[in-house]
Amino acid sequence: MHPSPDIGIWIGALLTLGIFSFLYGDNPYYKFCEALFVGVSAGHWFVTLFWTVFVAKMIRNVEIGLNTFITQGFSAGMADYVHWSYIFGGILGFLMLLRLFPKIGWISRWSLAFVVGTTSGLFFINYLVSNGLRQVEKSILSLGAEFWFGNLILVVGTFCGLIYFFFSKEHKGAFGGLARVGIWFLMITFGATFGYTVMSRMSLLIGRMDYLLGNWLGLIG
Amino acid sequence: MRKVAIFVFFLLFSSIFVFPPDKAFAQEETEMPASPTKVEASDTPNDNGHSITVKWKLSADDGAGKNNVVVYEVLRSDSPEGEFELRGMVPAGESVFEDQGAKDRQSPNYLPSHKKFYYTVRAKGDGIYSDSEVSAPGYAYGQWFHTGKFPVFVAVLAFSAFALIFISLARKGKKLYVRPLAGIEAVDEAIGRATEMGKPILYIIGLGSADMIATIASFTILSRVAKKTAEYQTPILIPCYDAVVMAVAQETVKAAYLEAGRPDIYKEENVFFLTSMQFAYVAGVNGIMLRERPATNFYLGKFYAESLILAETGSVAGSIQISGTDEIAQIPFFVAATDYTLIGEELYAASAYLGREPVLLGTLKGQDWGKAVVIISLILGAIAASLHFQFFLDLFRVQL
Amino acid sequence: MRRVLPFTIVSVTGFFMLVQYFIPREEFEWIYEWTLDWIIVIGCFAMLLGLYSLTYVSVNKVRRKTPGWGYNLIALAGLFFMLIVGFVPGQESLVRGSVFMHLFEYVYVPVQAAMFSLLAFYIASAAYRAFRARTVLATILLVSAVIIMLRLVPLGPLSGINQWLANFILTVPNMAAKRAFWIGVGLGATATALKIMLGIERTYMGRD
Repeated sequence: MHPSPDIGIWIGALLTLGIFSFLYGDNPYYKFCEALFVGVSAGHWFVTLFWTVFVAKMIRNVEIGLNTFITQGFSAGMADYVHWSYIFGGILGFLMLLRLFPKIGWISRWSLAFVVGTTSGLFFINYLVSNGLRQVEKSILSLGAEFWFGNLILVVGTFCGLIYFFFSKEHKGAFGGLARVGIWFLMITFGATFGYTVMSRMSLLIGRMDYLLGNWLGLIG
Repeated sequence: MRKVAIFVFFLLFSSIFVFPPDKAFAQEETEMPASPTKVEASDTPNDNGHSITVKWKLSADDGAGKNNVVVYEVLRSDSPEGEFELRGMVPAGESVFEDQGAKDRQSPNYLPSHKKFYYTVRAKGDGIYSDSEVSAPGYAYGQWFHTGKFPVFVAVLAFSAFALIFISLARKGKKLYVRPLAGIEAVDEAIGRATEMGKPILYIIGLGSADMIATIASFTILSRVAKKTAEYQTPILIPCYDAVVMAVAQETVKAAYLEAGRPDIYKEENVFFLTSMQFAYVAGVNGIMLRERPATNFYLGKFYAESLILAETGSVAGSIQISGTDEIAQIPFFVAATDYTLIGEELYAASAYLGREPVLLGTLKGQDWGKAVVIISLILGAIAASLHFQFFLDLFRVQL
Repeated sequence: MRRVLPFTIVSVTGFFMLVQYFIPREEFEWIYEWTLDWIIVIGCFAMLLGLYSLTYVSVNKVRRKTPGWGYNLIALAGLFFMLIVGFVPGQESLVRGSVFMHLFEYVYVPVQAAMFSLLAFYIASAAYRAFRARTVLATILLVSAVIIMLRLVPLGPLSGINQWLANFILTVPNMAAKRAFWIGVGLGATATALKIMLGIERTYMGRD
């Protein structure tokens, strides 16, 4: 047995054991690890976002934009506006912070409205194209081709699956029968997805065992 | 002897003219491929105005004649007498080239709109080449409608029409039937259970940001759930993964409490931010589940690998669990570990089910009609594809 | 005004994003790109709200000495220590070898991996509950999952059949159901987006 001399690995290993202790039940060891994890992760996320997005994108672009505006005024091209357009983004962002003041907090709804509205318009199209038209395009299959049996099952399965998702018709009679076939197809998919991920989840555990027994205690590898 | 030497020398000398060495090679060396003809430069359609398409007629030596054309080089200048620069190459056999430029003025590849450019095409093979005549000027400009996206345009109009027709019918008082969904019917019972037990409700909006449609769908459900919890005076805890989501959730819950007539019991600290790192968020939520012991857990929104950990922990904590996501990879885990699951589209329909507002039910009917159109397309498409009618498939093809 | 303006913003921005999809002109491309960047910027500012919320909730629990307040103190300590070692050295804190990155590597990374690996245990317990073949649907789920799980396991003479079955399941019925699922989700998401843009669904926006 050759335990690692690296203090960092010892810390990581002890925290790992703390998390695994959760399998036995909630306990102070796990609670300590969880609390530390939440605090460290929130701090890490905040700092990384600040340096890589806020400073690198926002501050840098506003700086370039202001310089461009000072030197070129309104004669700059659209490609240059991208820099000082971040000022407008910054204003929207600043309005969000007004939530901290109850009397004027309602102004932050403008920024939220901007986010929600943009998302809605974008995803209206994206989902219609990627989940609608593209899936229909791929589902149109020849029943006279070489793999006709598979194509037939694909068409029938898609048809019945769509029938299952009908909301405004009761699942009774022939319609109900088709919907039942649809949910059978869905169950096959769910089972397949379940079976597909089992191996990958096991490999995660193997990785942790390798870390504890190998990197930390030096028992293997 | 001298005469013989002179005679041999004369013979050798004259043979150069009768049988010139490498005469065929010398001819091939100087013979250039036929130049391409009819070079045309025009705007590339359906673009942002920074691309010009160059077309030409293939060289006569392309795949025929001496067959010595290997590649075509396309050169551009901003005047017919100016210096031409190489813009790109295409292999022999092709007669179209798209001169794509950048829209950013600072980019070295910037191609301005509405500026005339002249092109010449060079047929090249084995180190020798010939240039075409300079084309008439062409310039790039942006279009106002992308014709390749016409199927999408039709789909947008059709879908919107279905939705608006049924919304209008619903507004006129037409009753619209919707089939029961077990997960939705359990919501009242689940909230009632929490009230009886004196335990809070835990609502997880998922790991999506506010710019995801599944998260927005979750907000619409949260509003109805929060209104019920306000009426029953049951606390609702909403740990958030994203700060903007937290802001919208606070607005949603506050408005719901106001609508229920109970703004006094609204507590903003019940809708809080935890962390934006996936498994740290899960660890935090696990802690809340085991310590607060909520009677009911809702998992509605965007979930990834952490879905099973959340659902299993909630199960251990003894909560009734209602889940719903549009991530198909996570549905099996929710089906296995939670009591009720809203599968895919059911998540988006849930707000209409909960509110029972006629206008929302009208949009559900519109969705169903959309599905009906898809089903008809599938059947007609299968028949068309089997009979090799390509046109039907082209109806759904979107060019980007 | 307080209520009308946000919904107007939602509708205008929503319809702009819808319309710009069909207009390839440069100006629309630029505004589309700016819009996406502005959302990122709004998120950056919102992180301050997140930080405030987390701190406020934790400090409140510590102040009121609610059960488990000590753990909130640990979370706060972890948070603020990361902020100090992240901001004081400047952008150098993101360079490997800094205290900030050491904490990330030796605290965050192993704990994250440990949490992820818990799935191995949970998937077993979920399988135990789900794979009781009491109904037709549960049986189908079980059979499908077993065939797929065993596809990588050497089964002797049955390997060939199992592989074929697994491949068939993954490429045919699995794909069929997924297409139906995705089409349904697409229509549902599109309808939700339309409701938001038309102002039919308004519950997500607060009121006074």
